[in-house]
Amino acid sequence: MVEELYQNIGGDYQKAISRMQDDERIKKYLRFFLADESYKQLEDAIEAGDCDSAFRGAHTLKGVSQNMAFASLSKIVEQITEELRAKDFETAKETFKTVAEEYKKVIDEINRVI
Amino acid sequence: MEERDTLLIADDVMINREMLKDIFEGKYKILEAANGEEAIELLENNKDKIALLFLDLVMPKKTGLDVMHYMSLNDMINIIPVIMITGEATVESDVRAYELGAADIIYKPFEPEVVIRRAKNIIELYQHRISIENELELRTKELYESKKKLEENNNFLVNALSSVVEFRSLESGEHIQRVKSFTRIMLKHWRALYGQRQFKDEQIELIVDASALHDIGKIAIPDVILLKPGRLTDEEYAEMKKHTIYGCLMLEKFKQDENEFYRYCYDICRYHHERYDGRGYPDGLKGEKIPVWAQIVSIVDVFDALINKRVYKDSFSIDEAFAMIHNGECGCFSPKLLDCFDDAKEDLTIESKKLAQKE
Repeated sequence: MVEELYQNIGGDYQKAISRMQDDERIKKYLRFFLADESYKQLEDAIEAGDCDSAFRGAHTLKGVSQNMAFASLSKIVEQITEELRAKDFETAKETFKTVAEEYKKVIDEINRVI
Repeated sequence: MEERDTLLIADDVMINREMLKDIFEGKYKILEAANGEEAIELLENNKDKIALLFLDLVMPKKTGLDVMHYMSLNDMINIIPVIMITGEATVESDVRAYELGAADIIYKPFEPEVVIRRAKNIIELYQHRISIENELELRTKELYESKKKLEENNNFLVNALSSVVEFRSLESGEHIQRVKSFTRIMLKHWRALYGQRQFKDEQIELIVDASALHDIGKIAIPDVILLKPGRLTDEEYAEMKKHTIYGCLMLEKFKQDENEFYRYCYDICRYHHERYDGRGYPDGLKGEKIPVWAQIVSIVDVFDALINKRVYKDSFSIDEAFAMIHNGECGCFSPKLLDCFDDAKEDLTIESKKLAQKE
């Protein structure tokens, strides 16, 4: 079931299992992921036009999704992090649309599984 | 020492903390900090328990770099290893982290095996280093204390021996003290005039101690000669001169090994009545064959005899004494030594007044 979740969202299940050892543990982290506020910080900051805050949110979200082995989400978040680091807010705003799609996919899957 | 059994994890993202916590579960006690301020507080309260700090760079209320800065200022950085956690490798932040004293850097995502290995290695490394340093500090302290003890014993013996001479010869009790002080002054001026490599501070102190024993051989001279108020006969004078040899014989009896201090004592006892022109005693050594330390004690001994009252004479002023020594009325000294003597005149004058006040 957890493996299926990783397939549906373009994640790397093998990596996840090697880090977190079993599905139960992964589920624990999936719940933590739901509670993590970095996406909210990024979303709010993009809306408010606050580049620095958006960078910090993206940076944190990147680390978290990397640790969770959410490969697709990590990739796009990495991209927006670099854009925000370079203060290219307009491009980042465009990229955020894809981030939002990927993030929603992940959240929906997590809600389905747990 | 208390065992360091605790890890401190400082990261503002709960998932990251949880992952590290899981990795070390059952192996270490875990403390968590969600920002830099909490990290500093936990460090302060648990500094003897924390074996390792995992530190995120980007945190609210004081960053990871602030935490490291605090640790540097408070002497923690060499005791508690810091592993920096970071999302990406940027050269600037990596270099800065190492500069501030980070032991290592790990990048997200965490690979448990790698994290465990690194943490274990670093903890062992630090604890090994700390125990070596503690050991070294202890040994250094012991060495220092035993050296101090030795020096104290040494001083005691030197003083005891030299006061034996004072006692018997009825010389002014402070003659030896003055010879020591004047010898030190002359050595320092010698060094200033003729180069820093001449005498190290330790050597100067050894020679000063040795100078106290210059007349030790006098305890082997019979009372009738040593304490005779009038002029000595030629025979008596010949016996009196032997105090230089007797001193060496005594030193040979209780010498333990051929060390530097023994060398100075021997040379000073034997040669402090030699003359630069070779007409001194006991060996008639000439010129630079007479060791410098013996030459110095020789001139200082004469100088002190001149400026103080003896049973057979009144005291001379310092200027008179200098003139007499330069004229060759009281022995014969090398030009180099006389230059040094002039150079030291002011200090010798000050010191003799200072010692006179004490007496």
